[in-house]
Amino acid sequence: MIELETKGTLTVNEPVISIDNLTVEYVSPRGVIKAVRGVSLKVYRGETLFIVGESGSGKSTLGLAMLNIVPRPGRIAGGSITYHIDGRNVNILDLPLEDQRAFRWKNVAMVFQSALNSLNPVLRIWDQMYDTIESHDKHISREEVYEKVRRLLYLVRLDPDRVLKAYPHQLSGGMRQRVMIALALLLDPKVLILDEPTTALDLLTQKSIMEVLKNIKKELGLTMIFITHDLSLAAELADRVAVMYAGKLVELGDVYDIFYRPRHPYTFALMKTVPKLTSIDEELYPIPGSPPDMANLPPGCKFHPRCPYATRACSDVEPSEEWLTPSHLVACHRHRDLSLRVEAR
Amino acid sequence: MSLKNLLRAVLGNYLFKRALRAFGIIVAASTITFFIIRLMPSNPIEIFINQMMSAYGMSYEDAKAMALALFTIDLDKPLHEQYFEYVTNIIRGNLGTSISISPGTPVMNVVTAFLPWTLFSVSISLFSSFLLGITLGMIAAYRRGGIFDRVVSTVAAVTSAIPGYLLGILIVVFIGVRFGLINYMRGAYSAGLTPGFNLPFIVDVFLHLAAPFTTYVLSTWGGWMLSMKANTVAVLGEDYVTVARAKGLPEGRIRTQYVGRNAMLPLFTSLAISLGFIFGGSTLIENVFVYRGVGRLLWSSINARDYTVMQAVFLIITISVVVSNFLADLIYSLIDPRVRVGG
Ligand SMILES: Nc1ncnc2c1ncn2[C@@H]1O[C@H](COP(=O)(O)OP(=O)(O)OP(=O)(O)O)[C@@H](O)[C@H]1O
Ligand SMILES: [Mg+2]
Repeated sequence: MIELETKGTLTVNEPVISIDNLTVEYVSPRGVIKAVRGVSLKVYRGETLFIVGESGSGKSTLGLAMLNIVPRPGRIAGGSITYHIDGRNVNILDLPLEDQRAFRWKNVAMVFQSALNSLNPVLRIWDQMYDTIESHDKHISREEVYEKVRRLLYLVRLDPDRVLKAYPHQLSGGMRQRVMIALALLLDPKVLILDEPTTALDLLTQKSIMEVLKNIKKELGLTMIFITHDLSLAAELADRVAVMYAGKLVELGDVYDIFYRPRHPYTFALMKTVPKLTSIDEELYPIPGSPPDMANLPPGCKFHPRCPYATRACSDVEPSEEWLTPSHLVACHRHRDLSLRVEAR
Repeated sequence: MSLKNLLRAVLGNYLFKRALRAFGIIVAASTITFFIIRLMPSNPIEIFINQMMSAYGMSYEDAKAMALALFTIDLDKPLHEQYFEYVTNIIRGNLGTSISISPGTPVMNVVTAFLPWTLFSVSISLFSSFLLGITLGMIAAYRRGGIFDRVVSTVAAVTSAIPGYLLGILIVVFIGVRFGLINYMRGAYSAGLTPGFNLPFIVDVFLHLAAPFTTYVLSTWGGWMLSMKANTVAVLGEDYVTVARAKGLPEGRIRTQYVGRNAMLPLFTSLAISLGFIFGGSTLIENVFVYRGVGRLLWSSINARDYTVMQAVFLIITISVVVSNFLADLIYSLIDPRVRVGG
């Protein structure tokens, strides 16, 4: 069921991150995979931005790049990621290693896609909380840490006494996911990135994690970047949505634009994959074809082999990004002459 | 509270079961060795007679008379009676007396003359080899694909493919003979010295240790290195390591607490099992360097068919291997929370 809850447009447009022409590649035996191909994107203070797209479109890679921790064999091949924090402009890619270390988690934290494997199996949860704070603040006392950790565990609805003594394998998947969320909030980051925070969990756990996240958004007012397949989550929480396809942004806009007035055929197709509650037996429209082979991308628009509206131009030239309104961006040759209509839901 | 008691009872029971099984294995293994030893062709008396005849030109009769005067063993008794005697003696803590290596000396004394040297040499070599292997393995993993990794991995693979005794012979030939160090490659200390806690003797002991130590370390470090490298590479790909970097932990902390600890876990089991061989020594390496260890004792007792000494050495090896396997399980459950029995 899609029902837009958040009130789209933000009044203050002050960026907290400016990503400029970012390129990330993986060197694999099959060749160089360009997982992120020249993405430029601003993230605004206090907003909730969703990055959506099919599997393999480079969403997680983009998230990892924002902390400059793309693991081997990946590497950031170009571009910049500038944080505008405390009146300073810091390109994390240019920082000396020790400054990067101090910068991470304090300014930007991330809940990983594989939250189930995100905890060190041989350390108790308490130790993994404590070493995080201690690495950033040598003088903090154990009592202060405990107080803080306890508060956060309550926020994600976990029982501190039970969880802190435990080793990761003694916790359920949902509990580990909550621990990771609490861990990410430990240093009061300005930006929180959540990569598929609900995907690996059963429906009931998904719902309660979502409640927790909504609550965090309301109470802490931090900048959140969600990376997900789950469009219903986007409908509930997003201020803005960025749609990725084959390592590039194909559309970016506020949640109303993306859900009701998509201008890219891929976004349009994506919206049609969302089930509606209005009639139960209504057809779902999976996107025809399969995601492109990232090691061997087609020429021109990367979506053209699957696009019902593709023309000659689409297979020859990759469309450039164009601002339709100050807040709505699309990269499609045919956005002017197509009228894509999503029925009101 | 009662749950805790129950848990303790189960744990106690588990340990008890393990101990019982270990005991069973020791009994079975020593019984089998008892009979196999006696199934070997020839016997101590025949071998002694042959030696006397070939070494001193004695006649068969003279040599036989001498053997019977020297040896107290009656090999004509039925096997089951001999076995029964052996078991009752062991229960009394009596390992018997040596038959032919050092006729009449209690086996216990023979063994304790050799055991410390093996304990000393193998434990030093084993821990050095382990430390060297895991250190180089971890460095190679961090620089995988680089020059260091390629050179070290190749050398590791080559040295662990060459049998230890062959490395020993190479050392004797190319270092001992060429540089006139051959005197330090025979025995555990120089012939003229009396053992004692004085500087010249200790220095001499370490000089004699050098060659067997090098041989042992060379032939075993590669195994440790290659498995540590493989484990570390695998752990480096784990998400919790990326998370540790994201959390802004210092690199040293990540290397020890996140990568090192997890990569070393499986190696502790192998280390604990290797500890069992501290008591057995390495027969081949000790032989090359005529080192006064249990391995060499085993070799000479087999050659002389000294049944009682052989039994004692095999018993020591069996017990230490079984105990160290037991320890390996215990250690593993202590260092890996996932296999821990209780909270
Ligand atoms: N370690 C790696 N080695 C080689 N290629 C990789 C690696 N990690 C990711 N890739 C490639 O990079 C591309 C983007 O991967 P990424 O994980 O960012 O996608 P994603 O959008 O997060 O997908 P999903 O929704 O499945 O999580 C994929 O084509 C993937 O094959
Ligand atoms: Mg992903």
